[in-house]
Amino acid sequence: MSRVFWTGLAIGAAVLVETALAYLVASPGRYLDPFLLVVVYCALVGGETYGMLAGATAGWVQDALFGGRVLGISGLSKLLVAFGVGLAAGRFLISGAAARALVVLLATVADALLVQWLASVFSVQAAGLGPLALLSRATLNALVGGLLFALVDRRLAARR
Amino acid sequence: MAFAVLAQRSRLLLAGLVLLHLAAISHQVDGGGGVSLLQRGLIEVVSPVQRAVSAIVGGVGELWRGWAFHRETYVENRRLEERVRQLETELQAHSVRAQEAERLRELLSLRKAVPLQTVAAEVVGREGVPWFRTLTIDRGESDGIALDAPVMSPTGVVGRVFAVGPHAARVQVLLDRDSGAGVLVERSRVPGVVTGQVSGQASGAEDLVLEYVPERSDVAVGDVVVTSGVDGIYPKGLVVGRVRYIGKGSGLFRDIRVEPSARFDRLEEVLVVRHSKPALDTPRSVQ
Repeated sequence: MSRVFWTGLAIGAAVLVETALAYLVASPGRYLDPFLLVVVYCALVGGETYGMLAGATAGWVQDALFGGRVLGISGLSKLLVAFGVGLAAGRFLISGAAARALVVLLATVADALLVQWLASVFSVQAAGLGPLALLSRATLNALVGGLLFALVDRRLAARR
Repeated sequence: MAFAVLAQRSRLLLAGLVLLHLAAISHQVDGGGGVSLLQRGLIEVVSPVQRAVSAIVGGVGELWRGWAFHRETYVENRRLEERVRQLETELQAHSVRAQEAERLRELLSLRKAVPLQTVAAEVVGREGVPWFRTLTIDRGESDGIALDAPVMSPTGVVGRVFAVGPHAARVQVLLDRDSGAGVLVERSRVPGVVTGQVSGQASGAEDLVLEYVPERSDVAVGDVVVTSGVDGIYPKGLVVGRVRYIGKGSGLFRDIRVEPSARFDRLEEVLVVRHSKPALDTPRSVQ
């Protein structure tokens, strides 16, 4: 119950961050994806099942509030990304900040490629991200994610 | 053993969720429109939050600017600083009000120029993913806004409403790759279709593409492009932008880029046409 509450709160925080960022930079989604950070963290600490549920929820919220005409594309891409991350977390030791940042980087790239592929499959016109834009987005996500995950872990450890 | 069961369960969940998503997406793509209950609900729940965040961020920015401006004066003379701060705060408030009044005056003049029933709306949210270009506005069904209602700014066409809740709506901006509008080159009356051309690059050009214009047609750089009204969404004669580049296309048509007139990144207020009637033509171009 508590986990569901905190995940909901984290998704709510992602909505606020995304909304607030729009006042600082044009098109903030080009630089940072707070929803993806929530999904990756959930999949890393809770495994693929928990990650998939968090991914689908966060993706749908992102679709409904910030996405395009067709709902569910981000939902599906984040669901698949969460599954992959959860699977990897069950097989490899991904606990260091650097390893987690690398996972976020790869997840960002995978999410972008999945969204573009799904959009093309369903004939939804979506702007493509160039390699440089994608790399800078993935790098910033990885840096923010690595830092944020470490902070959350430290906070949770202190509470225990 | 337990691990195998768990793994099997997660794969079953994955398959189920993927199928659910595919069905949901296919339904929307095939259905070709309409607003889902989920989207209506989410818009309704979250738009007040977005509005509150907008107000807070704006307020914090104002406070920060005020503090930075008065810091040196405070050191120099406390009494004078107090007076100056008071005056500056008033001035700032007047300036903000004046800017707002100017924007609203522009909006009002557009409202008078457009012979359609319109409603003014505030932009409370912007796109958060790089693949789509959308806005959230603080007006919805209860204000007479319907699906596909055209949205305008004083400088040009902004886009159309693609999802509407009781008190908020989402707008697909013309720059979105999935958007399109029937247009005319105002000078030569050459028809075409503009579509979005967001490159997705941080520094990428955000031009519109003017499609289906034959090679020998009379179009020049600087020509004004207006809506033609044939798409059944945008009323005829609204300014879309100016031709910025003309190149040789790959086939029968020219490669034409149009610089949009609306300043999408600086939009704060917009006008939404209430219950748009496609057959309604404006008598002249609305500049």
